[in-house]
Amino acid sequence: MAQKPNRRGATRESIKATQNAWSSRSSFNLSQYFRQHQATLTESFLRLLGYPLASMMTIMVIAIALSLPGGLYVLLKNVQSVTDQWEQQSVITLYLFPQLEDTQALALSHRLSALADVASVEYISKEEGLRYFERSSGYEQIMSSLLENPLPIVLRVIPTQSVDVATLPSLQTLRDQLATQEEVEYAELDAQWLQRLANILSFGQRFVYALSVLLVIAVFLIVGNTIRMAVESRRNEVLVMKLVGATDAYIRRPFLYMGFWFGVLGGLFASLCILLLSWWVSAPAERLIELYQSGFQLQTFNADEIVLCLTISAFVGVVGAWIAVNRHIANIELQ
Amino acid sequence: MDIEFQRVGKKYESGQDALSQVSFHLRRGEMAFLTGHSGAGKSTLMKLMMMIERQTSGQILIDGVDLRTMGRRAIPFHRRRVGVVFQNHQLLLDRSVFHNVALPLQVSGADPLQIAKRVRAALDKVGLLDKEKYYPMALSGGEQQRVGIARAVVNKPQLLLADEPTGNLDPKLSAEIMNLFQEFNRVGVTVLVASHDLGLVARMRHRVLTLSQGRMVNDGGFG
Repeated sequence: MAQKPNRRGATRESIKATQNAWSSRSSFNLSQYFRQHQATLTESFLRLLGYPLASMMTIMVIAIALSLPGGLYVLLKNVQSVTDQWEQQSVITLYLFPQLEDTQALALSHRLSALADVASVEYISKEEGLRYFERSSGYEQIMSSLLENPLPIVLRVIPTQSVDVATLPSLQTLRDQLATQEEVEYAELDAQWLQRLANILSFGQRFVYALSVLLVIAVFLIVGNTIRMAVESRRNEVLVMKLVGATDAYIRRPFLYMGFWFGVLGGLFASLCILLLSWWVSAPAERLIELYQSGFQLQTFNADEIVLCLTISAFVGVVGAWIAVNRHIANIELQ
Repeated sequence: MDIEFQRVGKKYESGQDALSQVSFHLRRGEMAFLTGHSGAGKSTLMKLMMMIERQTSGQILIDGVDLRTMGRRAIPFHRRRVGVVFQNHQLLLDRSVFHNVALPLQVSGADPLQIAKRVRAALDKVGLLDKEKYYPMALSGGEQQRVGIARAVVNKPQLLLADEPTGNLDPKLSAEIMNLFQEFNRVGVTVLVASHDLGLVARMRHRVLTLSQGRMVNDGGFG
């Protein structure tokens, strides 16, 4: 009778014994291991090419699923950069009473410049205002049809505090304080709608995040399902490999690489879609920008973001494949 | 490889007893036949040795190690020590003879040059050296079975199991296949062949284990 060995110890012993028995006959080394991985990487890619239509369909589904949040991200990025520019220019605009004389307005301007909360005051006379409007696209005809200048003197007060959501209340206080000046007919803080925009943006951001999460899950499922079918179609191969002593890791490897390729190629096509989409909307977008005379430049997917997109999609591909393969190869045994 | 079954039982979840109280000892370098009607438990016994299934009672000792102590992770390494030949040969039809035979070496990460050398040696032993580029479908039944045998012996296993290896072959081919097993046994491999061809088994003059309804009813010479 054999002695009753410690279970765990015996397992390790027996693995070691068999591994040693093997390695004494064929030496294991690292370069061989990498060569094997490289071979599997190439082989799995060629396997995708073997079924070009089916592979392409899966890749395009992944690409479309990824390009949706990617495209929204680019849109959001552009809106964000527009609002960033506006934030810098944000001022309290004071519209003075039309009957006010230039000297009185200048006096007010000096008085306000002295305030601690005010960085500078820009004085815009009636004539300057008119010229500004004349220069502005779309207003020329209206302005030239006027008999007299209807514009008031305007003071552009630039507060010391920059505008963001946190400083908004104190800026509103400043605006109210400026509005009480007797020369001022109306005071406007354009940060108000900036805040509304910021709220819309953060709503948009969350919307894009949620959509991204959903679509990344969709990519998981697409890859998982495709890999599951690939395992199923190679069931016999998996069975035989298991019978001749392939480890789970060995059997898993080609499927993981397959998932990797699906992910990378899906990500690549998604990036292409986004670049193509950006190019397609760039002409009308640039006309729009010109109209607003903004120095803003249309942004698209940059290199970093393409790399990030590929990394995420490759990761999702591999993990999706891993889950699908693990669930299925365990069930494949000789009946 | 030394194999010892001690009152081994296998009960399926359906409640059916595939094996019960099976005991025998197959010593290192021994050759034996396993006979019995279909459904007597021959395949189940082979599956237990390959750890495709686990026994529900008793002990199986392989070279003194209790198979119950081997976890899932140890199974592939155990199988690399065991060569198996199946009735339906289990060849991969989309790979050439060479690549079918190379499979056990590939999965254990052998060096490509080594693989080529060993595959050709195995094919030479079964007389198919000139067919390495063929695909299995282009071969006759006997040739396919010999490819299966080459694959089973290519990594020099310590135990060779064959489950009805001559099931679909005519008597002449069957005898050839059996002679091959005998040759492997002569160089020290432990061999166990399951077969219901009692005439053939008797002619081979080796130890015969007979199963009937999951029980070992005979363990002796020559059927």
